Amino acid sequence: MSRGPLLFKDIDTPGLAAIDTYRKGGGYETLAATLNKTSADQVIEVVKASGLRGRGGAGFPTGMKWSFVPKASPKPRYIVCNADESEPGTFKDRELMEKNPHLLIEGMILAGYAIGSSLGYIYLRGEFEYIQRIVDKAIGEARAAGLLGDNVAGTGYKFQLHTHLGAGAYICGEETALLSSLEGYRGQPRLKPPFPAVEGLYACPTVVNNTETLMCVPHIIKNGAAWHRQWGTEKSAGTKVFSVSGPVKRPGNYEVPLGYSMKQLIEQDCGGMVEGLKVKAVIPGGSSVPLLPAADLDTPLDYESMNAKGTFLGSGGVIVIDDQTCIVDALWNVTRFYEHESCGKCTPCREGTYWMAEVFERLENGHGKATDIELLASVADNILGKSFCALGDAAAMPVQGALKHFLDEFEYHVTHKSCRVNRRRAEVAEVRA
Amino acid sequence: MSGLVRVTVDGRTVEVPAGTLVTDAARAAEVHVPIFCSHQKLPPLGACRICVVEVGTPKLGPDRKPVIGPDGNPEIAWMPKVQTGCTTTVSDGMHVRTRTEVATAARKGVMEFLLVNHPLDCPVCDEGGECQLQDLAFAFGHDYSRMDEAKRTFDSEDLGPIVKKEANRCIVCMRCVRYCDEVMGENALTAHQRGVFTEISSFDRQPLACEQCGNCVEVCPVGALTALPYRFKARPWDLRQHITICEWCPNGCSVRLGVRGMEILRARGTEFRGVNQEYLCVRGRFGHDWVNAPDRLTAPLVKTGAALEPATRDVAVAWAAARLRDIAATHGPEAIAFLGGEKLNLEEMYLMQKLARGVLGTPHVDARTRQGDAVPAAALRRATGAGRPPLTFDALTDAQEVLVLFDDLQGEAPFAQAAIVRGFRQRGLHVTVAHARRVKLARPRFKGDWLAVKPGAELPLVLELTRAALALGIPDGVPAEVRSALEALKPSLGAERAEAETGVAQATIAAAARRMREAGRKALLFGRGVLEHPHASALVQAIENLAWSLGAISAERSDVMAFGAHHDSAGAIEMGLAPDLLPGGLAAGDAAARAAYEKPFGRLPQSPGLAARDILAAAAAGKVRALWIASDDLLASAPDRALVEQALERCELVIVNELFLTRTAARAHVVFPVAAFAEKDGSTLNSEGRLQRSNRALSPRPGSRPDWEVFQEVARALGADWRYRTAEDVFREIARVVPGFNGLSYATLLPNGGWLSSAPAAANVAPVAPAPAADDAAAKTTHWLLAGGTLFADGSLSQRSDTLAKLAGSPRARLSPAEASRLGLAAGDRVELTGPAGAITLPLELDDSVPAGAVFVPYAGAELNRLGAATGAGLRVGLRRAGQPAQPGAAAAVER
Amino acid sequence: MSHDAVMPTEAGPVTLAWSETAKAEVAEALARYPVKRSAVLPVLWIAQREWGWLPTAALRLVAESVGLPESEVFGIATFYTMFNMKPVGRHHLQVCMTLSCSLMGADRLFKHLEMKLGVGHGGTTADGRFTLRRVECLAACGGGPCMQVGFDYHENLDEKKVDALLEKLR
Repeated sequence: MSRGPLLFKDIDTPGLAAIDTYRKGGGYETLAATLNKTSADQVIEVVKASGLRGRGGAGFPTGMKWSFVPKASPKPRYIVCNADESEPGTFKDRELMEKNPHLLIEGMILAGYAIGSSLGYIYLRGEFEYIQRIVDKAIGEARAAGLLGDNVAGTGYKFQLHTHLGAGAYICGEETALLSSLEGYRGQPRLKPPFPAVEGLYACPTVVNNTETLMCVPHIIKNGAAWHRQWGTEKSAGTKVFSVSGPVKRPGNYEVPLGYSMKQLIEQDCGGMVEGLKVKAVIPGGSSVPLLPAADLDTPLDYESMNAKGTFLGSGGVIVIDDQTCIVDALWNVTRFYEHESCGKCTPCREGTYWMAEVFERLENGHGKATDIELLASVADNILGKSFCALGDAAAMPVQGALKHFLDEFEYHVTHKSCRVNRRRAEVAEVRA
Repeated sequence: MSGLVRVTVDGRTVEVPAGTLVTDAARAAEVHVPIFCSHQKLPPLGACRICVVEVGTPKLGPDRKPVIGPDGNPEIAWMPKVQTGCTTTVSDGMHVRTRTEVATAARKGVMEFLLVNHPLDCPVCDEGGECQLQDLAFAFGHDYSRMDEAKRTFDSEDLGPIVKKEANRCIVCMRCVRYCDEVMGENALTAHQRGVFTEISSFDRQPLACEQCGNCVEVCPVGALTALPYRFKARPWDLRQHITICEWCPNGCSVRLGVRGMEILRARGTEFRGVNQEYLCVRGRFGHDWVNAPDRLTAPLVKTGAALEPATRDVAVAWAAARLRDIAATHGPEAIAFLGGEKLNLEEMYLMQKLARGVLGTPHVDARTRQGDAVPAAALRRATGAGRPPLTFDALTDAQEVLVLFDDLQGEAPFAQAAIVRGFRQRGLHVTVAHARRVKLARPRFKGDWLAVKPGAELPLVLELTRAALALGIPDGVPAEVRSALEALKPSLGAERAEAETGVAQATIAAAARRMREAGRKALLFGRGVLEHPHASALVQAIENLAWSLGAISAERSDVMAFGAHHDSAGAIEMGLAPDLLPGGLAAGDAAARAAYEKPFGRLPQSPGLAARDILAAAAAGKVRALWIASDDLLASAPDRALVEQALERCELVIVNELFLTRTAARAHVVFPVAAFAEKDGSTLNSEGRLQRSNRALSPRPGSRPDWEVFQEVARALGADWRYRTAEDVFREIARVVPGFNGLSYATLLPNGGWLSSAPAAANVAPVAPAPAADDAAAKTTHWLLAGGTLFADGSLSQRSDTLAKLAGSPRARLSPAEASRLGLAAGDRVELTGPAGAITLPLELDDSVPAGAVFVPYAGAELNRLGAATGAGLRVGLRRAGQPAQPGAAAAVER
Repeated sequence: MSHDAVMPTEAGPVTLAWSETAKAEVAEALARYPVKRSAVLPVLWIAQREWGWLPTAALRLVAESVGLPESEVFGIATFYTMFNMKPVGRHHLQVCMTLSCSLMGADRLFKHLEMKLGVGHGGTTADGRFTLRRVECLAACGGGPCMQVGFDYHENLDEKKVDALLEKLR
C-alpha cells in the first residue's frame, strides 16, 4: 500500500536504506543514465521546467537557484543539503532520510553534476545523530559501489559526499547561517548579497537545497518535467510531504499533491481530531507562518493559496490547534522558541523576541494590561522586515496572525486575567507526585 | 565621470566614489545616519540595524533605461524593506530617505529595542557624557520606553587589570571582538552563548592575556567595556581634552589626553585624526600616569659642595654656564659633549645642537646613546631612502609583501604591527619576519613566513637576501650609478652560506627575496634590532644595499621604514643630534653645509664630532670633561654601563635635563627639571617621516620647564643673543634655515601633520666589511643574550607608570620550556647571567618563542648593561641557576 | 529572566590528550574539509564523546587540533545547545517543549519528571544518573511528547511509559 505518489511511493519498502534494495527498485539507474549523457545545463533546464520549488520553507524555484551558479567561475563549487530540519511541526526530512538515504545521495550527486561540484555536504541537525549513522552507512555503500569518489559510475565524474553534524541551533537552517556553521564559525547568518550561489561556502559558488527538494531530483530527471507537473498547480508543481501534528487521530507525514485540501488532509488522512476536541486553528507551514482559523481549514495546500490567505506554505509542518487550547498560551510557546533560537546578531530579533516572551508570560499568568495587545502588535511590527534574517520575521508573523484572528482571546486575558480555555494548564495541574 | 556615482540623500545630491557605503555617502551629504556596529576599520556587519534607511533606485523600462516621471526626474522604485546603510553600496542614481515615517519608525523601533535590556546605569557608568547610545537615543529615539519587564542580567567582571566588563550594558555590536581579531590579531575576546544571553568575554572568563591595548574599550559604543585605571575618576565634561603626540614609540600616534586640573586622568584615541585614529597601544592609552608622579623634579639641583642641593633657576643656570665657559676656555670646546635628546621635540633638539655647535663650539653631539656600534646618521638616512616619498602606515596596511628585519614590532612599534595585522586580515598582506624568536607576527595564525635566523647571524642573512635578490636581476627604476654599484656588490657577498650558518635554508631566503621583488606594493621594516646591534653600521649599509636590490628604494620612492628607540628618534636625525650630520641631513664635514649654518649659528665646528660611545670613552679618559645629558638615564640606556660609570666619575661637569631624579641625574652636578611631553608645545617626526604637532595639554609641573627654555637660558648666560619666546619661534627659524622644512609652519601641520621636502639622500651602495667569524667554542657553554623592547617594559620611563609597571611585573629572563628542561630549570627559578663585565640574577619565565641556546631578557628594568657591551655579533652570557658553581669554560664571572 | 550563565569550569582536568582512537577520528574529520576550521564541530563532538562534557582543557585541545584561537572555540561551543559545558548525568533526558509536543502533553510529562527525579531544568540527580532538560523541537512532532535520551529518540510518551523507560536506564 503506497503512502504517496512520489517520495513516499516506496518509502516503507523493508530495507530500502540498504543499497541493494534501493537498486532493486531502480535506484542509481538515473545517475548512470544521466552523467555525461545529459549535459549539466540540460539537467538544470529539466529541473527548471519541472517547477520544483524549495521544500524547506522558502519555496524558491530550484532550477533557477542552480542556474545562478556562475558558469565561468574558476572556483570550486559546493552542493549542500540542508538537513537541519528544526522548524517546529516539521519532521518529514527525518523520515525520508531514515528510510531512503540513497535517494538523497543520488539526488545530491545529480545536483552536484548540474552545478559542476565535486564536493557535497549534508548538514544534519545535531539531534539527528542516528540519522547521520544511517546516512554515513549508505554513503559507505555508495562509495564501495563506485557511485562516489573519483569515478562516479565509471563516468570519470568526481564527487565526494560527507555528512556534517550540527549541535542544536535552529538558526543553522537559514542557508547562510548553515554555511557559517559548516565553515566552523558560530552559526550566524551572513549578508546577502553576495548570494551563496555566487559566494557561499568558503566564498565559492554554493547551492544549498532542502533534503526533500534534493530527493525529488532523481525522479524528475528520470521521468521529465511534464511528469512532475502532473501533480500540483501551475505555480506549485509536484507533491509535498506534509508533517501533521497536534491532537489528531493519526499524526505523521503525508505526501500529497500540492493544492490538496488541508481540510481533507486533517479530517480524512489524519482521521480528524481526537475524541472531545475540535479544530480551532491550524498553522499550515511550521511555526514561522501565521495561523489560520478553523474557518479557513479548506485552503488548498499550495504556495499561492496560502499567500492569498495571508500566510505561507512554509515547510509544510501542519500544526493543528484544538478548541480547548489557549491561543495566547500557544503563541507564548512559539515566541519562547524564537527567543531561545535567536542567534543574537541583530537587535530587533534578539531584544524583540525576549520582550514579546515577557509580555506573553504576563498575559498568560493573569497580569496583562490593556496596552499589552497594542504593544505586542507594535513590537512584532518593529521586528518585521527590520531584522538581519528571516528568523525575526518568523517570530513576528505568528504573533501578528494570532492577533488578527484571535484578538478576542487576547482581550479576554486582559479583562479576565485568565485564559478562556487552557487544556495544558489543566493537565499539568493534574500531575501529582 | 568614471569611478564616481551620484546619490541623493534626503534630497541632497552628492557624488561619491563607486563602492561607497550609503552611511558614508550620507555623511558626504551632511545627513547624519546613526551607527553602532559599523566601524571604519571593520568590514560591514549590518547587525545593530540602527542605520536602517529607505533605499530606492531608478525604475528601468524595458529598454533598460530609467523611466522618467511627470516631473522630469527618474521614477524611483523603493525597496519594500528598509535597508541597513552600512551594508548597502551606492549605485548611480540611488535615492536614500532617512526622515520619512517609515525610516523614522524603523529607526526608533531599533533604538527602543536597544534599550530593552540596557540598564539605566548612566549615573554610575563611566561612558555617561560621551556615550554613543545616550547621544543617539537622544537624537533618534523616543523620549520614553514601553519596556516594563524585568531585564536579563549578567554578572560584571574584571577581564584583567585593564578591562572592566559590565555585560548588562552590552548591545552586542561585536566591535570589540572584531577589532581584537582583525586589527589587533589577538583574538582575546569572544561572544559566547547566543540570543539575548550573548555575552562577550575572554576564553573561559580568564583574565585577558592580550596586549592590554584597551582598544576594545575605545570602540565600545556604550559602557559595557570600560577602563579600570580610569574607573569612576571623572566625567568627560570635567576634562579638558587635548590632542598631542604620544611619547612612547616612533609611530607617532595621536593621543587625546583627558586632563583635570593638573592631572592627566586618561588617554583616548582620536577617532578620525592622526595616523592611528581610534587605535592606541597599552602604552599610549595607559602609560601616561608617570606625568602625574609625585616624585617629578620640581626644583633645579646643583652640587656645589658634596651633594646635590636645590637651587633657584637663576643660580643653576649661572653656575652651569660659568662652569661650561671655564671648561671651554681651559680645555677647548671639544672638552664638552652633548648626549641624549631622542625624547625631545624637534625645537628642543635644534636648540640643543645649536647650543653645542654654535654657542659652545663643540661638534660632539649624539642622541643615539643606546647604540654600541655607532651608525652614521647619514647612513641611516640613506638606508631609509630619505627625501623620497615615504612609506606611510596606510601604504603599509595596503602592502602585498612586508619584510621585517630583526624587530619584534609588538614591543618596538605596536601601531605598525596593527597596520600589518589588519593588512593581513582584510587586504591579503603577506608578512615575512626575520627574527631569532618566533615573535607575534611570525606566529602561524598570521600565515606569514618566519626566517628563524640564528642569533648573531643577522648580517649574513641580510647578505644572503641581497644575493638572492640580485640573482633575479637589477630591479627596474634603479638609476645608472646605483645599478653599477649593485653589480659590483655581488663578489663582496661572499660564498653562499648554508642553513647551518644563518639558520635559514637558501630556498626560503630565495623565496622571500622573490616575493618582495615581485610585489608591486611592498615594505621593508627594521629598527632597534639593527640599530643597537654590535654590527649596526655594517647592517645598516647592508640594508641599504638590500633595499635597492629588492626595489624597496628607487629613484621615485622609498618603502623602507626604520623604528628608532624613542618617539622622536627620526627627529634627532633630521635635527642633527648626530656627530656626522647638521640639521636637514647636511654633512657636518661638508664646508658648504657649514657655511649655510654659520649665519644663524654664529659659528660652527670645523669637523664632525664623536659618536656617543666614543664620547663616553673620551670622558672616561679625561679628554671630555663636561657632559650635558638631555632626558636620558645613561646608566640604564648605554650598552656599556661600566664605561658610563667611569665617564660620570671622571667628568668634572655633568649637566642633566630630567623629569625624575634618575640614577644618572643623581651623579650630575646640575639637574634641570624639565617638562613632560604633555606639558609643552612642539613638533615631532615619526617613523613615516611625518612632521606632527605636539600640543601642550597641561601646565608644566611647577619648577619644570620645556627643555628648549633651559637650553636658551644657558645659551643666554653664555652670551648668545637668543630671543625665542615660544617653541613656535624656534620652529620658524627651523623652517627658514633647515633644508626640507622650508614653507612649513605650525598651521600647516594640522590636522594630520606635514611632510619635509628634503633632497633625496644620494645612494651609497657599497660592499660591507665581512663580519668576524662566530666563536663556536663558546657556543656550548654560553647562551646568546637576546634583548628587545616589550609592550609593558620599554625604557626606564615605563617603570614609572603604575599601570605599565604592574603589567610588566618584575624583570625576568625567558627560556624556552625545552631549553629550561635541558638545564634542569623550572619557571620561577632564579638564574644568574654572566657577561664580560658583570652578572645579574633574574627569575626565570618560560617562553616558547625563544630558540634553543638563547635567553631573552626585555631591555627595560633588568640592568642588562651590567653584563658589558657586546663583542662580535652579539653578547654571549653564562647562564646557571643562581647560587650554583660556574660550569667549566663558561665566561668568567666578573665582580659587579 | 534567568539563564545558565557559562561559568569557568571549576572541577575539570588541567590538561587533556586525545586517546589513540580519538586522534584517528580527529584526523579523519580534518580530512573531510578543504579548510581546517570546518572540523571544529566534528572535533567538539569527538571531545564530548570522550569526556562526556567539554571542560576547559578539552576546548584547548580542540582549538589546538583545529588551529583556532581558544577564545573562538569557546564562543563556538557555547553557541550550540547540545554541547555540555558542565558535566551531565549518565542519561541526559531532553524533553521537547515546543508547541506540537506541548499540545500532546509535554508539559505534564516534564512536571512528572521533575517531581519524580527531584530536579528541575538543568539539574542532575544526586546519584549522577539523570540530567533533565527542556529542549526545543526535536522533529518528532507527530510522535509527541518526545524525549531524547542522549541521542536516542523516545516518542509517544506518557507518564507510565517514561517511568518504565527510566527503570531501564541505569
